[in-house]
Formats: sequence, C-alpha cells, structure tokens
Amino acid sequence: MIDAESELVVDCDWHYQDSFKEVAEYMPEPWYTKYKNSNWDDAGVKQNLSSFFPTSTGDRQNYGKVLREHSNYPEEPEDPERVTEGMDFLDIDVSLQISHLILAMGGVTADDERVQAFTKGYIEYMLEEVLDPDEGVYGLAPMPYGDVEASLDILERVEDEEAYVGACFVTAGASPPLGNRKYDPIYERCEEMDFPVVYHTGGSGLDEYVRAGYQEMIETHTLGFLESNMSQIVSVACQGVPEKYPDLDIVFMESGVTYIPGLVSRLDEEYLKRPEEAPLLDTRPSEYITDFYFGTQPLEVSARNDLLELCFDMIGTDRLLYASDYPHWDFDSPSIINELPMLDDDERRAILGGNALEVFEI
Amino acid sequence: MSDAENLVEVGPASEFEDGDAEIVQVGRAEVGVIRAEGEFYAIRNQCPHDGGPVCKGNVQKELVGEFKGTGKRVDQQYSDTDIISCPWHGWSFELDTGIHIGDDRIRVPTYDVVVDDGIVYVDKGD
Repeated sequence: MIDAESELVVDCDWHYQDSFKEVAEYMPEPWYTKYKNSNWDDAGVKQNLSSFFPTSTGDRQNYGKVLREHSNYPEEPEDPERVTEGMDFLDIDVSLQISHLILAMGGVTADDERVQAFTKGYIEYMLEEVLDPDEGVYGLAPMPYGDVEASLDILERVEDEEAYVGACFVTAGASPPLGNRKYDPIYERCEEMDFPVVYHTGGSGLDEYVRAGYQEMIETHTLGFLESNMSQIVSVACQGVPEKYPDLDIVFMESGVTYIPGLVSRLDEEYLKRPEEAPLLDTRPSEYITDFYFGTQPLEVSARNDLLELCFDMIGTDRLLYASDYPHWDFDSPSIINELPMLDDDERRAILGGNALEVFEI
Repeated sequence: MSDAENLVEVGPASEFEDGDAEIVQVGRAEVGVIRAEGEFYAIRNQCPHDGGPVCKGNVQKELVGEFKGTGKRVDQQYSDTDIISCPWHGWSFELDTGIHIGDDRIRVPTYDVVVDDGIVYVDKGD
C-alpha cells in the first residue's frame, strides 16, 4: 500500500455543481436573454416539461413571451378557487376539468402502477376539493387505460358521482392504439353508463412520439397534438369502435378542426381500396368520424374563412364543442366562436354550450 | 327469355373456367363476362375510380368480419359473395350487383347473362 496522501492522485470524474444562473451570464445571445426571460430556476429546470437542457421542446414559457399568469405549468399547487375565477374571466358557466399531469402518462412505459395510483388519487382529490356541480365545475375521469381493470375500477367509483360526466383518454403514446380490442371493456362500460369517451391529445414536447430532433415548440406543438389525435382517430374508426358500441359518444379534443377534412379524405381513399381491412365498417370511415364530436380549440382563426367554413360544414355544427384549454398559453375565449362570420346565432349557441349539455347530459 | 335482338354473343360456355373473363363490346361499353363458381356475371369493364379494367382483376370471395363480443378478435371469414377487384387500385365490387364492397353508393353497371344452347350472351338491356 502506498501513502495516497503523498502521491499524485487524479480523479477522472468529479461533478462540478454548476448552476445555469451563473453560467448564463457567460452565454452568447440570444441564449442569455432567452434564459433570463424563461423563468427557469438556478438549475435551469422549472418543471418536468421546461428546462434549458430539455428532453423535450414542450416549454410553454416561450422564452418569456407569454407572461400571463398560469400560462405555463404552475409553480405552486393549483388553487381550486382559480377555476371559478377563470370561468368568470372567460364568462363560462360550466367547465369540464381534466388533469394536466395525466397528459404525460404516455411517457410511462414501465409495467408499474404510477398511472393507476395517480388517477385514483386524482379522482378523490377532485371530488373532495375542486369539482362542484352547483358551480358548474364538472370533471372527466382520466383512464389509466394501460390497465383495463384499473380503468373499470375508476368507472365504478365515479358512476354515481354527478360531478363526473365522462372518461378521458390521453391520446399521446397509447400503445397499442386506442381502437385495439384490449380497450373494449372500457368502451363497453362507458356506453352502459352513458359516459362519453373524451380523447384528449398530448404530444407537444413529448417529442419522440413524433420524430426525434425537432428544435422548437412551434414544431412539436403543431405536429405532436395532431399526430396523437390522428393516430387514435384512425385506429378507433378502422377497428370499428363505433360499430361495436353504437351508443358510445366519442369526443376528440384539442387539435383544432382543419385536420379533420384532410384526414378523413385520405382515410376514405385508403378505405375504398382496402375495405376488407376495416371489416366492421358498413361505409366510409368519414361517416363515422363526422359523427364524433370535436373540441374547437385551438381554432385556426387565421385560416381562410372558406376553409374554416368547409371544416365546420364537414364536421357539422352539431358536432362541435367549444373548448378553452384555459389556462394554457393558447387558450380560446368564447369570442373565438362567437365572432365566426359563417355561423348563425343558433349554431353559435350550440357550439358554445348546447351541444355539450346534450353530449355530457349536464 | 330475353329478346334475341338485345343479345350480344360471347362464346361457348364450355370454354370458361371459373375466374375467366371475356371482354365484349356492348353498345359503346366494354363489358366483361366472368365465370365464378359456375355462375356467369357481366359488368362494365371500367372502374368508376380511375377507369381501370375491372374485369381483368382478381375474382375471389369477399372477406368479411363479425364482432364476436367485447375484447374478442373480430372474426374474419370469406363469405359466399363473389367479388372482383380492379387490378389498378383494388376497388372491389360484388359480381352480382356491381356494388362497391365498402360503399354501396358506388356501383359498376351490371348486365344480365343468358346461356342458351351452350352459348353465353350478354343482354344489352335495351
């Protein structure tokens, strides 16, 4: 043995605990300013979807561009009173709450019980602390659909709770896709309960769901949401969920409306060439898909008006549901619908509220 | 029995095997006379999709699926319905009716076939 103290010792792996706060002072522009405006903490990490060295481009903070409170994921736990404050701000009478944390469930690929545990806890927390039908605050029960039994347990739990009016399936990362027969028992139970199935997109920042290597949120927020919803629409339609469960109300949320005509047109073209591969369908997939309901947000108001009009016409104004996505950074106010020139007042009322009251039996 | 003036001769029935198609001119239309499972069918040889030669396509039974219950695989089997698939893009039609197997609003015109004294005829339907 040598006397290490008197010998030359080289440590080849020391971790200096650098902080972004200090290093950023030396970073070139525009990154120094972007860092300063991004509200990351000293470690360069705000919350799971926001960091300077990202595993994700899903940073709603937008380098400080959107400053409105709560436009990003909150630093502090949400206060239930903010729901009614937000509803007052938007002049909304009834809101359907979904969990924002559950949007990342597709990232859990291990066969463990994190998603099940979270959803069970969420159901009780929301019932106890947040949901209040007297105030118009209702909830959608998140489905840990990777575990069908756990999903059925949740449906059993909420069946007699007035505050829960539907089941929520996060579309990002569902594997196998949500038309697979594996999920049949959940759909069967929802149909039995008159519980609409709300497919809610995700995928912005969950970059690998789309294609690795995108650099900015504008890329993944555009494509991730679309990809997540489109892949499930195709699966649900082609595998015949609407034929298996004809009384099940199907709702797709948060991808705007302009993707629908393109998707169904392309799918119909495929179907006419290969109908035997969707053997439960009696007719074109578009006829099933336009019986689905679609949340309007984020409505593409900058599109050509005749395109929007065509989309509304193809989907049907009786199938469109106003959605704000509040408090997220790209929320839509009711005025987004109200100011559309191609709608008459009855259609405005239907999209802003009437259709939803009917679908969710509120 | 069809009016003889309306009949277009195709050829001896004995020369047809199952799956064979013979193209004849019926007025301004090309019509394919096809034998499947011993029965004769006649349909317009023009796919409504892109004008492809439907009657030169594959003749087979229609593959259909049936929902057998929650969580079960869709049961897929070949039915008794004979279909023909356009060789260009696969649009497929019931031989008996000319109806597209995925959308009954799409139809290829069909014609009556008469076999008289061993000879196959297409009825122009005039």
